[in-house]
Amino acid sequence: MQIEWSSDWKEGFTERLENRQPWDNWTLYKMCFDVEKSKLITDFHGLQSPKYLPGLTPFPHQLEAAETVIERMNGKAILADEVGLGKTIQAGLILKEYLIRGLVKKALILVPASLMNQWIDELNQKFHIPVIHYKKAYDLDYCNIVIASIDMAKRSPHKENLYNQDFDLIIIDEAHKLKNPKTKNYEFVQNLKKKFCLLLTATPIQNDVFELFNLISLLKPGHLGNFETFQSVFSASKHNVEEDEFLKELINQVMVRNSRHDTGIEWTNRRVQIIPLEFSEAEKEVYGMISALKNVSSVFSGAFSMITLQKEMCSSKEAVFLTLNEMRQKCANSEENAYIDGLIGKLSALQINTKAEKAYEIISQANDEKVIIFTEYRASQTYLQNFLYEKGIVSVPFNGQFSKNKREWMKQLFKEKAQVLIATESGSEGINLQFCHHVINYDLPWNPMKLEQRIGRVHRLGQEHDVNIYNLAIKHTIEDHILELLNVKIGVFEKVVGELDYILSEFKLSI
Amino acid sequence: MYPQQIHQYVRRFFIENSCHILRENEHFIHVQLTIEMDKKIMNRPFYWKYLESTGDEPNPAQLTLITDKNKLTESIVGEVVHYGSPRLNQLFSVTKELGSFVQMYEKPPVTQVPVQTILTPWVGVNYKITYSSDRTREILYSLGINLMTGMIIKEFQESISRLELESTISANTFHLPYTIKPQRALERLDAVIENQIKLDDHTWAEEARVRQQRDIRVLDYFYEGIENKPETYESEKKAIKEQYETKIRIEIINGGLFYLKSI
Repeated sequence: MQIEWSSDWKEGFTERLENRQPWDNWTLYKMCFDVEKSKLITDFHGLQSPKYLPGLTPFPHQLEAAETVIERMNGKAILADEVGLGKTIQAGLILKEYLIRGLVKKALILVPASLMNQWIDELNQKFHIPVIHYKKAYDLDYCNIVIASIDMAKRSPHKENLYNQDFDLIIIDEAHKLKNPKTKNYEFVQNLKKKFCLLLTATPIQNDVFELFNLISLLKPGHLGNFETFQSVFSASKHNVEEDEFLKELINQVMVRNSRHDTGIEWTNRRVQIIPLEFSEAEKEVYGMISALKNVSSVFSGAFSMITLQKEMCSSKEAVFLTLNEMRQKCANSEENAYIDGLIGKLSALQINTKAEKAYEIISQANDEKVIIFTEYRASQTYLQNFLYEKGIVSVPFNGQFSKNKREWMKQLFKEKAQVLIATESGSEGINLQFCHHVINYDLPWNPMKLEQRIGRVHRLGQEHDVNIYNLAIKHTIEDHILELLNVKIGVFEKVVGELDYILSEFKLSI
Repeated sequence: MYPQQIHQYVRRFFIENSCHILRENEHFIHVQLTIEMDKKIMNRPFYWKYLESTGDEPNPAQLTLITDKNKLTESIVGEVVHYGSPRLNQLFSVTKELGSFVQMYEKPPVTQVPVQTILTPWVGVNYKITYSSDRTREILYSLGINLMTGMIIKEFQESISRLELESTISANTFHLPYTIKPQRALERLDAVIENQIKLDDHTWAEEARVRQQRDIRVLDYFYEGIENKPETYESEKKAIKEQYETKIRIEIINGGLFYLKSI
């Protein structure tokens, strides 16, 4: 085995013996030995990091995760706790441990740009790990812990700069963005040398089990076999996971996942209600006309555009209007135009938005408590803001595109001045709003994990109240179908990964 | 280290480095740094460069460290230090830098009639051994070798820390010249360390090798049947090798020349 001797001390000793340098102080000599003794890592096992972080009190599940990753998974793992259980803390503990043990000298952290500052702050303040923002690093050779947004990192010349560094640990946050092996993100990470590697995601499976295969193949290629064998065993049907016991076992070797009730922490309850709504006659008519569009013009015959229009109609006339208007430009035939004009006429004449009325009702029954509304559409966001304003309710908008300052400001306004925050999908990552406990899912996304992400904004460590979730869905529309599909997807996820807290509601498929 | 121990440590550190304590209680300390200490820990080389070129009067900084924020009753503005804080780590490394090599003489007992005291020369060295793979473990060895007889003892630091030592030889005290040269003595101590390592249980290394082989097998399985393996195969393989590479590092923390009577 390789034995490394460091010879610095001997040279210094010789210099002193030859009187070329003065001798040192005896008290400092003894203090130095005592410090080394207190810092000594006497065991291969166990965590040293908590000793160095007296200001931080990690939860037992976080410590356990860090230990499992280091000792059972040898430093290559997917950290897949549910949203709000502190995956950053786990990653910080692991990074700190490796730094203390001298096993990691250089680390690279890849995060979405919107979470950059949060990471830098947490690592600095909670873990005393100085992190250098890639953009501000003038010479990577001298930077030990570098943080970069993955969208920047994957492009030249940054990609090459990072490849040239010898990183010991790679941490990737929001790793579900790597589920598709055909993307530049995936390719970039695949080509990074990954000695120790942590992938963080609350949602390792969003649609099907292949996403998990892709993630694990980044982390530990071969762990689930190669693509062909995996496919032949597990793809009888995308949504039908057979041999799941075996698969679960393999996954457990590389993935840590805690759900809320594993943590031993007293969690407040989640009260999920599906609120089925009935369109007004006028709305029903317009929805019917939209659904009939595919028979009117070939422009609307694509399933995707039809679904988009239907979903938008379930949200607000403002949302559907934008798309409809765009598609109308493509219609040449006067008959088609006449139909669409008629449709637009009826659409504009709509007086009442059933869903918005319901949302208002929920808000007014919330006794002045804070409410978050999630919608998929910017147009609906603006509409709702006006609608609520007319009813005397102050709201603030929130989008992922907001700059860091604006996000903070909006959050502050929400906390202090406004009762309602209206967020679009892209706003649902990286903002923590434990002071609020009412969530209205004004539109439902296709992906159950997006719902989980949304709920996770409020139902996380620090929430003191039961959290009320209202899923609004219009009967006899596309939203019936979305609800059903959400349930199927949750089924796949539960089989392979573990149970989810009630995202939809306990009355599964009751509609 | 508890806040109390940290306080004692910080306090002794500054006193030993001739930094004047301006104000303190049990939970904070306010010190005037010397020029040397300012240069070492305040991280402002440009200020000192500038002073050198202008010849202005140097104005070394004062530093306030809070060692136990919870017990502090006054409102003191200062840096909070705790185990693991960057400032304390910095003081640790300065301690190491300034406490690496000593030459010490045992103080003779006070007697009514002056007696001649003869001291025996020793070399004492504190070693740190690190076993590392994807995990680590460290062991301290404190060895001392008698430069007259070649006798080697363990736990040397423990034994001498009980004694009263001083950096100059007392009156009426003499020391024998050494028959084994210190450099030669070091070689002997190194050999003891190497032998100690040889005798140690190394299942940890065997286990790491098993982990490594298992991971390489998994990787090979992923690329099985592919004729021209892509670059990622090689880089993954390299990463696995580095991940589990077994190494033993030997480092000397500090050591010195000791003239002793009682050992």
